Amino acid sequence: MVDIRLRAVGKRFGDTVVLDGVDATFADRAFVVLVGRSGCGKSTLLRCIAGLEEVSEGGIEFGGKDVTHLAPRDRDVAMVFQSYALYPHMTVRRNLAFGLELRKEKREVIDARIAEVAKTLELEALLDRHPRALSGGQRQRVAMGRAIVRRPAVFMFDEPLSNLDPALRNQVRVDIRRLHDELGATSIYVTHDQVEAMTLADVLVVLDRGVVQQIGPPIELYRRPDNRFVAGFVGSPAMNFLPGRIAEGAAVASVELSCGIRVPIPPGDIPATPLPPGTAVTVGIRPHDLHRDDAGPVPLTVELLETLGSHVHVHGSIGGVPFVVALEGLGGPGKGETITLSVGALHLFDVDRGVALR
Amino acid sequence: MIVWVRIIRMIRHSSWLLCTLVVLLGSARPLHAADPERIRLWHAWRGNEEAALTELLADWDGAPIEVLAVPYDALSSKLGSAIPFGEGPDVFVDSHERLGEYHRRRLVTAVGDAYEAGAFVGEAEVAVTVDGERLAVPLSLKSLALYVNDGLVPRVPADLEGIAALQPSLPPGTFALAYEANNAYAHAAILHAFGGQLLAEGDRFGLVGPAAEASIELVLGLLDAGVVPREADGALVTNLFRSGQAAFAMSGPWLAADLPATMRYHVEPLPMLLQAGARLRPLLTVEAVMLSPGGAARPEARAFARWLASANAAQLRAERARAVTARVDVSSDDPIVRAFAVQARDAVPMTTSTAMRAAWEPANKALRKILRGDAGVSDALAEAEHRYALVMRPPPPARSPTALLVLLGALALVGSFVLVQRARTAAFRTRVRRSLSAWLWLVHAVIAVGVLVVLPLVVGAATSLFAGPPGDVHYVGAANFVDILSARGGPLLASGSFWLTLLVTVAWTVVNVLLHVGLGLGFGILLARPVLRMRAAYRVLLIIPWAVPNYVTALAWKGMFHRQFGAVTGLTLALGDWLGVALEPISWFSRFSTAFTANVATNAWLGFPFMMVVTVAALGAVPKDVLEAAEVDGATRWQRFRHVTLPMIGPSLVPAVVLGAIWTFNMFNVVFLVSGGDPDGTTDILVSEAYRWAFTRDAQYGYAAAYAVLIFVLLSGITRGLDRIAARARDRGAM
Repeated sequence: MVDIRLRAVGKRFGDTVVLDGVDATFADRAFVVLVGRSGCGKSTLLRCIAGLEEVSEGGIEFGGKDVTHLAPRDRDVAMVFQSYALYPHMTVRRNLAFGLELRKEKREVIDARIAEVAKTLELEALLDRHPRALSGGQRQRVAMGRAIVRRPAVFMFDEPLSNLDPALRNQVRVDIRRLHDELGATSIYVTHDQVEAMTLADVLVVLDRGVVQQIGPPIELYRRPDNRFVAGFVGSPAMNFLPGRIAEGAAVASVELSCGIRVPIPPGDIPATPLPPGTAVTVGIRPHDLHRDDAGPVPLTVELLETLGSHVHVHGSIGGVPFVVALEGLGGPGKGETITLSVGALHLFDVDRGVALR
Repeated sequence: MIVWVRIIRMIRHSSWLLCTLVVLLGSARPLHAADPERIRLWHAWRGNEEAALTELLADWDGAPIEVLAVPYDALSSKLGSAIPFGEGPDVFVDSHERLGEYHRRRLVTAVGDAYEAGAFVGEAEVAVTVDGERLAVPLSLKSLALYVNDGLVPRVPADLEGIAALQPSLPPGTFALAYEANNAYAHAAILHAFGGQLLAEGDRFGLVGPAAEASIELVLGLLDAGVVPREADGALVTNLFRSGQAAFAMSGPWLAADLPATMRYHVEPLPMLLQAGARLRPLLTVEAVMLSPGGAARPEARAFARWLASANAAQLRAERARAVTARVDVSSDDPIVRAFAVQARDAVPMTTSTAMRAAWEPANKALRKILRGDAGVSDALAEAEHRYALVMRPPPPARSPTALLVLLGALALVGSFVLVQRARTAAFRTRVRRSLSAWLWLVHAVIAVGVLVVLPLVVGAATSLFAGPPGDVHYVGAANFVDILSARGGPLLASGSFWLTLLVTVAWTVVNVLLHVGLGLGFGILLARPVLRMRAAYRVLLIIPWAVPNYVTALAWKGMFHRQFGAVTGLTLALGDWLGVALEPISWFSRFSTAFTANVATNAWLGFPFMMVVTVAALGAVPKDVLEAAEVDGATRWQRFRHVTLPMIGPSLVPAVVLGAIWTFNMFNVVFLVSGGDPDGTTDILVSEAYRWAFTRDAQYGYAAAYAVLIFVLLSGITRGLDRIAARARDRGAM
């Protein structure tokens, strides 16, 4: 129920810079997902927002109010931890009630809220058990319950699904998004999982080495990555990157890959500022943007096939660089067979700085 | 070990137990099988005295000698457990005052021709004669004498009054005379001058009546005038004299060994006491050669004993170990040895009566109490006499053990019946057959635990059913327990009663455990803070109290609580100076509250590191994110500790608290060494009380064992109770 503003947030541990000038504004009721590789600073950023870590520089505002130096309990946030961090010596009921009791809520209010949350999360039968008597999924639900029972302004999730088995993970993911929509609070969610990030987020924040790479709706990041890192990180299987140059003397704008193959640039992907022919570029092609086409310019010898049902991932190499294609349907080519492909969309990146050329 | 005699007697009634015992002892006996040729000699000598013996034995050309050095404190009990089985020495060296007991227990017998008539000084001859029999051959004499610091005193006054009169002329902080005024052994010298005795005719308590009162009034005067230091023990006397803070010291030959060679001092006989018109006469201990009944029967052992006490041997011991010979025909060139020899001729031989053992404690207690100013002279002495009478009361009448044996027999019968019934079922036999190999793995442990734990426990428990002086015990049934639990017929909460002591013990345990847990938690939490610099250094510092042997710590704390020289007094005075208030030094051991506090302070210091270590370990097991979850949930630092940390480390702390409670309940060292039960036995706990019954009150082992059994029962109960709490904590506790 607040918007969140980060002003040049920096965090250092000794000489190690973990966060470097993070600027962002998250709208009220947004579902924000912080994503990046291990050690990119996403959890630290979450903990800074929660108040568990003191920022070294910059400031944080909740709904226009500076909360930079407030303790977590004065920020009106709730958090679901990766380990769930349930109080092992308390029953589920006490776990849920604890935060409310500390806020000196009336007993009737507490009981009513617990009943409500227990109903929502199907915890009624578990209320008098201790956490050690619960399964992983049940514990996860209690952790969620503990967060929502307090009706905080901001929800924090620190990789809450990573300890669940995949089937459960998918279901809980949906539940989380549904709860978010029902509760109408602002949520900040940390994950390194592609699918979670893409499916949950209203706003996706990609971090690398403590620096924000790009912020935006997931589809925006997928379609128009600002740089090579975001392009490579968002989307699965990851984008293929091949060295190349702007082709000379071609009728249509094309790139010439290092192996000599010329690929025409689809009209939508031609950079607004024309690049002089011969400019070296990195060519990024998503596996899903390739199609089987007997007349296509790109030949690929099939080295390995991964059949997913709806898709087949075809692994090969182009000019010695590993290359993946995602083909629709069941009927894929045979191993050792050479197929030719046409390119539906591609991305050009500066070779040195990795920024998108468009 | 005397216990064995009793046990053997009991066992004679039941042959199967005897068989077991024969098997147990059978393996041990051949190892000790005596070489009939050898003469076995036991002694408790150390250092120079032992070296002198070795040198001496090189000249012996009789039967071969097998020498065993036994610590002095253990000698008596080892003799008691060995000689009745024909295992002990033929010849042994011990102090004459034990002859009465040895005689009663038939550990010694008349020495016959080992005694060289007319060779020894009269006092020594008196000392080794019990009921007209010569039971030992005197070797050397030990008594107090007067040490004079020649650097401080140009001319030695002839009388005690003269010594006291020197006080104003001495440098500040110096005492005219240092001696252990609180100690009845030292006080006896003054008592004798007034014509009194520690143990009067007919084994009556001696420190009572006009002579005793006059002697104590005299000492009170000396303390008040600052002539004599207060509450001095042996170490303090040594320190004061050695450092030139005492012009004179009344002490024994052992003091000379602690004085630097460069120090200018000499030794003289104790001075006159003008007020009494007599000299101070110290107690005399005669070190003597004794013969066990077996040894006395062997001519070569008697010859050896005679030779050990010969003039040549005496000369050598005088030269090598500064021993003051008991012989009339040997004299030493050493002025110190000569001075002690002169003093020994004017000393009072310690009585050989076993009643003396019961007289020391009340006498010492009364002296301490009066000299601290806590009680009037005649009141305290009357109380001491009463205490003595209580200890010396006749043991309960012998009872027939039939009832017990019938009960045990019935239990054995029922037990074997049940066992046989079970053994007849096929399932039981299969189980036994299947577990046979398991028993093979366990058998050594079962034997070890049986011999080291179960057997002593059973023997100890059995001892509690007996009473009487060592060597003459009889079965009394539950009389010891009845006596203890009924507070010996007096009021239930009378001073020294079981119930009062139990109350003190419980208070002692509760206060200590609370402090241990409080301090341990506090320091543990501080140490567990990751931001703390030099954490390792603090950790080591805080564990030191635990690593130092606890009796060392206890003695150090006792020193710190000394009224005149202790660090606590120093701090109090410094604080008083700083505040501009005149603070009186506290006499810590004269009131229950302060003495108890001193004990508690010592034990808290000793006990908290264990709790701290446990706390640090337990805190390490509390996940950081659970605490963070609480922080996000809105808990303050205190609420996180109270509602999350504490309940989570609780289950790990409970076993430590149980252990700590048991250790504290039985913390003998601190109580015995720091307050020593002062004032008046009020700070004694059950174990120290049990110890006193066994070792300072005429060896009432049965009575002490009954205390021990009661302690065992109490602790079992407490442990069970705490266990239940622990189980409940575990149920609620961490995953």
